[in-house]
Amino acid sequence: MRLFLVIFIIFSLVSSAQLKIEISKGSESLPKIAIVPFKSSFASTTGDNLSSLVESNLILFGEFDKLSKSEMLSFPHSEENFYFRDWKVLEVDYAVIGNLLISDANDLVINYTVIDIALNKILLKGDISGKNSDLEQISKIISNRVYKSITGLKGVFNTKLAYILNPIKDSYMIYISDIDGSDEKLLFKSSSPLMSPSWSSDRKKLAYVSFEKGYPEIFIQNLTSGKRSYIETLGMSNSAPVWSPNSKYISFVMSMSGNPDIYLYNLRNKKISRLTTHYGIDTEPAWSPDSKKILFTSNRSGSPQIYELTISSGRIKRITLDGDYNARARYFPNGKDIVLVHGNNGIFHIATKNLKKRFINPISKTSLDESPTISPNGNIIIYATKKDNQGFLAGSTINGRSKFTLPVKEGSVREPAWSPLLN
Amino acid sequence: MKKFRNILLSAVILFIYGCASTVSDKVSSFSYATAESDIYDSAEKIDINLANKIYFNFDKASLSNSSKELISKYVKFAKDAKAIRLEGHCDERGTREYNLALGEKRAIEVKNYLIIKGVSSSKIKVISYGEEKPIESGSNETSWEKNRRVEISLF
Repeated sequence: MRLFLVIFIIFSLVSSAQLKIEISKGSESLPKIAIVPFKSSFASTTGDNLSSLVESNLILFGEFDKLSKSEMLSFPHSEENFYFRDWKVLEVDYAVIGNLLISDANDLVINYTVIDIALNKILLKGDISGKNSDLEQISKIISNRVYKSITGLKGVFNTKLAYILNPIKDSYMIYISDIDGSDEKLLFKSSSPLMSPSWSSDRKKLAYVSFEKGYPEIFIQNLTSGKRSYIETLGMSNSAPVWSPNSKYISFVMSMSGNPDIYLYNLRNKKISRLTTHYGIDTEPAWSPDSKKILFTSNRSGSPQIYELTISSGRIKRITLDGDYNARARYFPNGKDIVLVHGNNGIFHIATKNLKKRFINPISKTSLDESPTISPNGNIIIYATKKDNQGFLAGSTINGRSKFTLPVKEGSVREPAWSPLLN
Repeated sequence: MKKFRNILLSAVILFIYGCASTVSDKVSSFSYATAESDIYDSAEKIDINLANKIYFNFDKASLSNSSKELISKYVKFAKDAKAIRLEGHCDERGTREYNLALGEKRAIEVKNYLIIKGVSSSKIKVISYGEEKPIESGSNETSWEKNRRVEISLF
């Protein structure tokens, strides 16, 4: 335990990868939200700190406008002293009020209420308990609840982001941070390339590709213990691991003597089965949410295009028809839409597509965009791009109303992988 | 059957909470550990006085005539060497995992040409780094054409 602590401290001194979300394009007509400072039943700024954290969470991806404290006409903390007119005049759409108590076990107990101003209606009453030291965690859970009550979508404020950092030449690291970029933790460091991080659905393991032995190999790292194992195969290279949502398989790419195909690794009995057999390139598998289908990239038609494989029947269907380069697709949580890298004449955008429609909708405007990852609620995409020789992450809401970047101080960041939700 | 009942039960609970619009939560915590890498040695390279890079067009793995000429010059050295390593690379455009496969296709093209010319296939080791190890970091054609390559080394 002590050894781990020392290593960790050294690493955190060496590199400061911390990402921070900066909104680059906000929309003029965002819903306005007022997070009223929470009241503490004891003399403390904890309530104020907690409501500030909730506020910064909710505006994180540029989905809401906030009403600043200085503009508020009153600071209610219960329904009895909440007056709708105070918020209607300020054109507030939603208000959140709350108060803090201390339980007998010395835990914080927070009660909060979400109010729809236009409908004169309480959307949600919630309570949560936890330690004072868990304030950030508490704020994230409250934010998830508030977000869900307003949008109907699950909140993703307590999700994580895995990414590859290449701070200097011949140095590669895998990091995991909170989705807002804070609390980064180094998982693995190597002088050889690292690629393709993929989360297990319980968020306890990460699969990735490491070249540490001189060839690409798939490792599975236990996130709590740091223990690593690898997928043993007869191929000369293994890559692109993706965990099935039902946690039974890892789909990956193996190349036997120069023919990359899609394979299935059964996590329980460690058996490997082959899914594609074409002599061209088949790679970049992605699971459908029901674990029954796999999207992949193949150049069997002469250029990289997206195909969908039904595992039970082996049936393969071509999905993309337009553009000279369509690759690395991922399903949306609805299983009906996909996000992909769409290239035309050497320009590469992130785009979305409905599986049943021909039309491809570009959602990014820069030209070297890749590795899109979708938030578990399907509402936000983070992807990798490049400017002035530096790789960094950028993102967008699906409706395109908010665009943001996650700049890094030094080095290049790539291959973001959004964690699943915690159940 | 028991499992099914549990699922049903939790669905019922979820339904009740969903309707009442009240929620109750508790905080749980989780910590992460860092793993350490092992260190692996590499063998001694043989220096020969030949250009060691074969270049390719974007998203292509086919060899030009001048590339075939260069590879032919390697044949007599390759026959004497203990091992031949072919390292395939791509430019940064397009996706990383596809480029990893494309780099491998490029190295395989060079390997197959060496085999045609009589070099034993068991001596040839192929590896692709995709777009992970560029020579030039710029985002322009001058850099890209230098990065789309197979590097030949003899051991």
